[in-house]
Amino acid sequence: MSGALSRTKIGAVALVLAGVVSACSSSGGGSGGKQSIRFVWWGNQDRATATQQAVAQFEKKNPDIKVSTEFSSYNSYVQKLTTQIVGGGAPDVIQLDRPTFGEYVQKHALQDLTPYVGKSLNLSDISSELLSGEKADGDQYAIPSGQTTQMIVYDANLFAKAGVTVPASGWTWDQFLSDMRTVGAKTGTPGTTDLGWAVDWFDSWLHEQGKSLYTNDGKLNFTADDLTQFWTMTSTLAKQKGASNAQATTKMDGSTQNSAMVLKQAASEINYDSNLTSYISSYNGGTVKAAPLPSDGNGPTESGMAALPPVYYAVPKQAGHKDAAVKLIDFLVNDPGAGKILGATRGLPPNQTVRQQVCSAATAGNKAVCDYETAVKDKIGPSAGWFWPAGSSAIKTDFQQVYDNVIFGKSSPASAAKQLVSEANQSLNS
Amino acid sequence: MVSVLTRPAEVRAASGGQRRRRRRRGQASGYLFLSPWIIGAALLTIGPMAFSLYLSFTDYDLFTSPKWVGTQNYVRMFTQDDHYWDAVQVTVKYVVISVPLQLGLALAVALLLNQPRRARGFYRSAFYAPSLLGASVSVALVWRAMFGSGGTVARGLRGLGIHTGSWIDQPKYALLSLVALSIWQFGAPMVIFLAGLKQIPRDLYEAAAIDGAGPVRRFVSVTLPMLSPVLLFNLVLAIIHSFQAFTSAYVISNGRGGPSDSTLFYTLYLYQRGFTDFRMGYAAAMAWVLLVVIAVITAGVFRSARRWAFYAGEDQR
Repeated sequence: MSGALSRTKIGAVALVLAGVVSACSSSGGGSGGKQSIRFVWWGNQDRATATQQAVAQFEKKNPDIKVSTEFSSYNSYVQKLTTQIVGGGAPDVIQLDRPTFGEYVQKHALQDLTPYVGKSLNLSDISSELLSGEKADGDQYAIPSGQTTQMIVYDANLFAKAGVTVPASGWTWDQFLSDMRTVGAKTGTPGTTDLGWAVDWFDSWLHEQGKSLYTNDGKLNFTADDLTQFWTMTSTLAKQKGASNAQATTKMDGSTQNSAMVLKQAASEINYDSNLTSYISSYNGGTVKAAPLPSDGNGPTESGMAALPPVYYAVPKQAGHKDAAVKLIDFLVNDPGAGKILGATRGLPPNQTVRQQVCSAATAGNKAVCDYETAVKDKIGPSAGWFWPAGSSAIKTDFQQVYDNVIFGKSSPASAAKQLVSEANQSLNS
Repeated sequence: MVSVLTRPAEVRAASGGQRRRRRRRGQASGYLFLSPWIIGAALLTIGPMAFSLYLSFTDYDLFTSPKWVGTQNYVRMFTQDDHYWDAVQVTVKYVVISVPLQLGLALAVALLLNQPRRARGFYRSAFYAPSLLGASVSVALVWRAMFGSGGTVARGLRGLGIHTGSWIDQPKYALLSLVALSIWQFGAPMVIFLAGLKQIPRDLYEAAAIDGAGPVRRFVSVTLPMLSPVLLFNLVLAIIHSFQAFTSAYVISNGRGGPSDSTLFYTLYLYQRGFTDFRMGYAAAMAWVLLVVIAVITAGVFRSARRWAFYAGEDQR
């Protein structure tokens, strides 16, 4: 009897265990013949719609490759992507920005694309200035999705109402500050969004003085005094109602959705011109125009503006289908049809021929980007010296957190600058 | 209790080795039945915990293997990190404000619902519903819209002549909007309080009433002492829960803990260190400090409860 009993027991236990084991091993099998790749990015709806259309074209041309796409907001994107790459579930084509590119390259997470160049990946029509930013030790680790540069986007109606015209050759900093105060005083809407929130605009300001955020070997290239000066300038402007209030500034994340200007808390704003399309489509009740950044010097090296890829395409080292992934990247940057669909949703097309085609056929938002880049052509500097190393994502986040303390009156620009520099040094060393 | 049950079996087992063997076999199959849980706990809880303790003494960025740095993470945390102390301050403030308010409200509503009244069942479910929804992302989004600029709260207060502006974009109000969200979820402690109230014998109240005690006196001298074990239980749960609050702050501040670190909960800062900066060692160290602090506070509450928690059947101590 006891033998029979234990057999049932064992049977029951085996059943339970079998349930556990089968639950653990439920990963799906692949489909034969057809390659399936994943393409992930962050961005707004404009970008998503255009990208999905371009991907559909690619699938039509390459019936053996199936592309599944995913997009999200920036914050969740980076966290999810890194976890996936480390966890072995890397997508095949990824979108990166400067801080994440620096981070991934230094941590050896990206596939070297040099072996594909000239074969399945054609880069001959892309300017070397644009490509040089994605090289490490001479090897190509990412492909620019396009070209962008900094701009001041403004509501022309509000500016006209205040009697402020943008100087033909661009503002000097003194002119800019006083004009922003005028707009604030005459229209009730502060002249510009407080530009102290983003490390990007501090980077521009530094470049105008021949400095930069980081050296090429990933060290800090500015002092607490520089930052004190910058934050004093920006926070003073906010106090004089020339720049947005703290409540609006703290919301900023570079998207038009949370933009102080789009939310009518400011009459202008610094951003990259790859976002101009989105400003034009989401701004209500005003004509949106773009102007170059304020600068006290002349020429492209002192303009605070450079030819930067708004985002990069790259292939993770652990990607499952690298050949197909490279094929998709090549299609996105070089195919005229794809260029037509994508327009300037990731900056102007990197391929010169495609760019000309897109610009000559452009309307509305895309035309505005083309016109702006043509107008400021002589001010756009080389992209060398704009590399952001590993740790720069943390510094970007920290920059905004620390500046919050300044605009909400919790610390002075000087003590905030000191805090940022000490924390930045830790981020770069760890 | 367990020992009481097994003692007779032991006595019997001592009479024959065969029985003991069978008992051991019974134990073995018991463990076998438990094995899914044991394997799960070992692989998914105990193992990772031990690993995270190790990680807390390393520098680990996910991409490269952990580098041993001794106590450096802990030293940095306590001596060089302003955000860390912001996070500690915010979290303690949150616990101290939200726990008493939440429990107070839960008790008050439980007392009301304990009165014989029509549609009691309906009210009970209605008040419990927020607890089911409260921890979700969608409710946090609703909260953001309510307390944001142009939201219901700012507009309602403006109607009363109080100009606050957007709550979630100002350091002095942002945390309060999170406290409000946590108080609103008083359903779970309320249900437990209600169960506790039903356990209190009627005759105690009758005796007190005969002795001339009014409603307040009856509440202080009968209800509170009789309810104290339930109160202790709710208090411990609420404290632990509040220390671990994350979702609401993450969603409402867009993952930043802003404005000006005012909603930077400890867990949110831990998450930032781990998943934005990829300093997993540092994040692990933070997690272990949180664990120890929660353990110490819980132990403290239990210790103090010896003085105020009253258990029926041990009235003479």
